[in-house]
Amino acid sequence: MKLFRATIGAALLVASLGETASATTQNVIFNGTITPTCTLVIATNGTMTVSPDLQSLSSHNSGGSAGTVTLTTTGGVSLSVDPVTTTTVPSADTTSTTWTPTYSAAGAHSIVETGSATAITTPGADLVSVNLAGTKGGSNRFANGNYQATVTLRCE
Amino acid sequence: MKHARILATALAVSLIPIAAGAQSMSPMRGEVNSFTDAFAVRVFPANPYDQKIKVEVHVYDQDFQPVDARISPSVFQLGAQASRPVLVVVPFGGAAERKVRICTESIPFPNQQTQIRAQICGKFFGHRKS
Repeated sequence: MKLFRATIGAALLVASLGETASATTQNVIFNGTITPTCTLVIATNGTMTVSPDLQSLSSHNSGGSAGTVTLTTTGGVSLSVDPVTTTTVPSADTTSTTWTPTYSAAGAHSIVETGSATAITTPGADLVSVNLAGTKGGSNRFANGNYQATVTLRCE
Repeated sequence: MKHARILATALAVSLIPIAAGAQSMSPMRGEVNSFTDAFAVRVFPANPYDQKIKVEVHVYDQDFQPVDARISPSVFQLGAQASRPVLVVVPFGGAAERKVRICTESIPFPNQQTQIRAQICGKFFGHRKS
């Protein structure tokens, strides 16, 4: 019986050696959808300095610096700044100030300094410079003390 | 079976921060159909910084006027490189459809002369079905 089983097994093995292994292929499909995405990372806040005639307090003035933000996007978004609504001024400053926020960008996209919204259609990363200028008209002057303003940079 | 459940849980937990990493808010676009007086959107604000930040979520209409929506949570701390879900329920206010902006705001560096507030806004469109 043992010999019979061994003989049958050997015969089957030999018979199977002549058979070619059948191989099939199937495609595995991967789908991915990326919706518009935007990341803003504030690198530095800005500093404003006053002009010699004391009528301009701006990050553009000598010694001032723009705030910097890194922007990374898929495209299909819009970049803008809001009018300045949050300010802190010294008590000695009782006259009105006109605040003008602007931004520019360099990197994957080149945006010349503007205060208007900019559509970004292509993907990439940029360094956005945010500037703020406060101006006084007539005989009004900036006063001694601490000023602070918040600029909202929006990606939507 | 128990090991499989533990492995599945571990995989799910480990995938969450990878999927949401380095995005300020996702999704940024959405269209929702609702059979009730309100529609709900779940957004995922994320902190791309290497430090903890305070995050605020606000809802505005198309003219950037505040919308009386239910946001939970609306203010929270977010750890470095972390993300969390926020549920926003927007009432239709009697209208058949409503467009809103859901915005994530953060101020990571206080006490500077010129602060920059980064705001990421998503646009969402709710349709009321009857």
